[in-house]
Amino acid sequence: MTALVLALLLQAAPAPEATVPAAPPVAEPAAHAAPPGADAAPAPVAEGHGAAASHDDPATVIMHHVTDVPFLGLPSKHAFFFLLAALLVIVGAQLAVRSYGSKGVPRGVGAAVEGLVLFVRNQIAEPNIGHRDGRKFTPLLCSFFFFILVAALLGLMPFAATSTGNLAVTMALALVSFFAQQYAGISNYGLVGHFRNLVPPGLPAWLLPIMIPVEILSMFTKPFALMIRLFANMLAGHMVITTLLLLIALMGQISWLGGAAMAPVSILLSLFIMFLEVLVAFIQAYIFTLLSAVFIGMYAHPAH
Amino acid sequence: MNPNVMAYFAAGIGAGLVIIGGAAGIGRLAAAAMEGIARQPNAAGDIRGAMILAAGLIEGVTFFALIVTILLAIK
Repeated sequence: MTALVLALLLQAAPAPEATVPAAPPVAEPAAHAAPPGADAAPAPVAEGHGAAASHDDPATVIMHHVTDVPFLGLPSKHAFFFLLAALLVIVGAQLAVRSYGSKGVPRGVGAAVEGLVLFVRNQIAEPNIGHRDGRKFTPLLCSFFFFILVAALLGLMPFAATSTGNLAVTMALALVSFFAQQYAGISNYGLVGHFRNLVPPGLPAWLLPIMIPVEILSMFTKPFALMIRLFANMLAGHMVITTLLLLIALMGQISWLGGAAMAPVSILLSLFIMFLEVLVAFIQAYIFTLLSAVFIGMYAHPAH
Repeated sequence: MNPNVMAYFAAGIGAGLVIIGGAAGIGRLAAAAMEGIARQPNAAGDIRGAMILAAGLIEGVTFFALIVTILLAIK
């Protein structure tokens, strides 16, 4: 049993490295392309507000908090925390594997990670993809799970940013998921069989003109929904926290008494949302992994 | 009327409608799941998994609409 887990962890260890090289090519051009758009986006808002078009404009502050900015002389803060999260996952996986030692019993990091890896394998991969294929896709699903979890938790640190709150990063993750889905179908049934499986057999012929476009569309909307879901969840929590804290400044503009009265309320509310964000980090890692597994299972074992 | 005002107005109303829809969907889902777990506590694990999956799908559609309202507000 433990040897099996060890093999699993060994398999899981190269997987983050497999995900990471796939991701930066997508993330990098988009991340470089993003800053002009990101810088341009708050400007019309500021003009829209007219009078309060200063740098302290609430909309500018919120957008500044959630969009990509230069960091420590690097062009992109999100890219920095993206690489940091990937590095943490890779190093953590190596440490976890190493902690098994010669006795085959994990200690420290390994014992903590083993539970999560087993959870991904037994609760997510195998029920949704099947016993044999589930084992095959567990390393990929593990790297999704741990990367999203670590990236989201990193984003809760002071002065940090959530790299999964960037559309380019979630698009890279969703693309990896998309190729995994297609690979699952093509490796099991061949290229022609994979596309023939999109429509269930025994369908009336007059339904085909409707079903084929719908199924091909759904092939692309699945990863698109994964991308938007993760991005919006990561972005929304941070925007809510910033907005709640900005309420102090907004009330303070009216009078200092308003700001002083608002402060405890704002801080309590944002503390609550902060706790919620820790929960959301786990739930989103789980949902992204679960839905990827379900979609992979859908193509690996279509209805027949 | 100023087109910006219309856009903000549409974004606000749209966000509210989106939340009504999403909340109704997830609320019904959670109610049904609770009922299922209460009737069949042995199946709690399976029901919870299916509930989270369906909640994720509902949430996804909600976010599609929410993105449209955000685009209305910041463009």
